[in-house]
Amino acid sequence: MAFVAGVFGSMLGVGGGIIMVPMLSMAFGVPIKVAIATSIVCVIATSSMAQIAFVSRGMTNVRLGMLLEVATTVGAVVGGVTAVLIDGRVLQFCFAAVLVYVAWQMNRHGGDVTPARTGVLEANYYDPATRRDVRYGVRRTRLGFVLSLGAGNVSGLLGVGGGAFKVPIMNLLMGVPLKATIATSNLMIGVTAAASAAIFYGRGYMDPYYAVPAALGILVGARLGPRLAVRLSARALGIIFQVVLLVFAVMMLLRGLGLGL
Amino acid sequence: MNVPPEQASVARAHVMEPGERAIRWILLCGIAVSVALMAAGLVLGIVRGAGLPRGVVPLAELPRALAALRPAAYLSLGLIVLIGTPFVRVAGSLVVFVRERDGRYVLVTAIVLLVMCLGVLLGKV
Repeated sequence: MAFVAGVFGSMLGVGGGIIMVPMLSMAFGVPIKVAIATSIVCVIATSSMAQIAFVSRGMTNVRLGMLLEVATTVGAVVGGVTAVLIDGRVLQFCFAAVLVYVAWQMNRHGGDVTPARTGVLEANYYDPATRRDVRYGVRRTRLGFVLSLGAGNVSGLLGVGGGAFKVPIMNLLMGVPLKATIATSNLMIGVTAAASAAIFYGRGYMDPYYAVPAALGILVGARLGPRLAVRLSARALGIIFQVVLLVFAVMMLLRGLGLGL
Repeated sequence: MNVPPEQASVARAHVMEPGERAIRWILLCGIAVSVALMAAGLVLGIVRGAGLPRGVVPLAELPRALAALRPAAYLSLGLIVLIGTPFVRVAGSLVVFVRERDGRYVLVTAIVLLVMCLGVLLGKV
């Protein structure tokens, strides 16, 4: 299971805690906080392993990643404060609705965004699927930053990583090609996860009995994911991503209805 | 600039920038050390016939537990290294930005590192 999670997580730039946590707690009877801690360790393993492959291919936009990390980390820390103000159930329904909307938007756009030179945070990478060098710039940096703040905030509230939001924000809104988006999101999820993992470790929720085998499985899977992500066409990647978003939405709805989690 | 052949085959026309090389190197080391520690823990567990331990060793007791060759200590340290790797990665990026005199991204990266540490200090589960 950890292997499969590693492949998908690293291929799509999402952590997948939203699927992993209920699976661990329901299928394996892992206590919920231990399940969350295990899934966070898996996210870190995915991010670190996959990033080695992405960064050596120049697919990760390191500067863009750092910039948006400011927004997501600040958002996540503030998330704890906002949690008092909003009902968790309402938020879970909203989260599911936004996921469906985002999947629909990605579907409507069909393929990938057309890369455009904007002079902001420009980068280039070689795409083996099209055998072309892709050059692109970033659009609407400010709006993307503000929305990432929101995404980080929501993930702080709901205890999910928010990779599912980062990818559409960078891709649809900021005009970053899907492959660069996935690589950059992959870099970012490791940062948020590491901060929460340290907290979970300190509180003693880390259980090597689950975390160590899961991490080792993930590391193997996360070697395969980036290769798939790099070779597949952006269109195919986009479709897989949309399906995963819909699965996430269903999981969130179930959570909102009090089933599962 | 000459690119070593093995690097050229991996990167396909991409020559890594110093920042990218630093990230790759830090992550590689982090994973290698962490996997080695976890493997050591697993082997110790098998040798001692104890199986996988439940629960991690608190930081304060870690040195003594390591010296006593407790499997849990090695597994815990492996997890700590894994969790710590992204922190080191951000710190490494900071160093690279400082060297490149990229003031804006020195600031950006310093904020990320600061918020990460704040999050750990203030964090509630």
